[in-house]
Amino acid sequence: MTGRLSQGQIIAALGAAVLLVAMFLPWIGVSGPSIPAGIPVPSGVSTSTTENIWKGSTLDIYLLITAVVALLPALLALTDAAEEFSFVSAATFLLGVVAIILVAAFLTVDFPDGADRKYGAFIGLAAAIVVAIGGFRAMQEEVAGEI
Amino acid sequence: MDANRLSQGQLVAAVAAIALFIISFLPWFGVSGAVTVGGTTIGGSTNFSLWEAENPLDIYLLIVILVALVPALMALLGDGATAPMAPFATTLLAGVGTLLILYQVFDTPGDADRKIGLFLGLLACAGIAVGGYLSMQEDAGGERY
Repeated sequence: MTGRLSQGQIIAALGAAVLLVAMFLPWIGVSGPSIPAGIPVPSGVSTSTTENIWKGSTLDIYLLITAVVALLPALLALTDAAEEFSFVSAATFLLGVVAIILVAAFLTVDFPDGADRKYGAFIGLAAAIVVAIGGFRAMQEEVAGEI
Repeated sequence: MDANRLSQGQLVAAVAAIALFIISFLPWFGVSGAVTVGGTTIGGSTNFSLWEAENPLDIYLLIVILVALVPALMALLGDGATAPMAPFATTLLAGVGTLLILYQVFDTPGDADRKIGLFLGLLACAGIAVGGYLSMQEDAGGERY
């Protein structure tokens, strides 16, 4: 199956798979006031909570579109489809670059006040970088006709 | 600067991009509420522009506007520089932008009210996508207006 995919397409697909997984990991953490020592806390009660990217903004839909476009060549190879879309590598690169900008902006200027940045957001940023690199490499391979 | 240097698609995309930039300062979302104190009801409402709403859509649409305007500016300045991927990038990013705004129409943040800017923004973003698509076709056919 992977024989039909270029190296860039494989990199982009792996980045997209990680991005999809990262979207379900904690991105935002909110901590409540700490409970003074000595006060018993019932089991199952926590003063902090985390949220993934699916709650709150259009970033979730955008990252989903980016992941699906990056996965498209791998999905077509899986189904043995004969279709080849010449624009997919360029689209993957473009959407990946914009995803990096949006996630970086989310982590800096757009992050909710008083909340903590959780590891899911950083894994998502790294995955978006991998998707963009994969898309760029796939574009280069298409130009060079190495596929 | 000579506007005749612009292709029809570039012109449509650039005009729609300028419109989207202006529309981004109009109210996109609104929140209203009322409280009753001692038998007296006090109501209030406030509107949010695209920039005031806590949403990454503002940064995304700014990128779309820039991607649509840069090829038009390069053509207007006429320094010979070209951006071969620009029509494709404009079509793709504005198309996705249209989907994102459409999503906000059906799922507003925090169940806020939909305001005029949201709908005008949807139209303007779709206009950019159409302009980009026309540019792609013109590039493929070698047509310049």
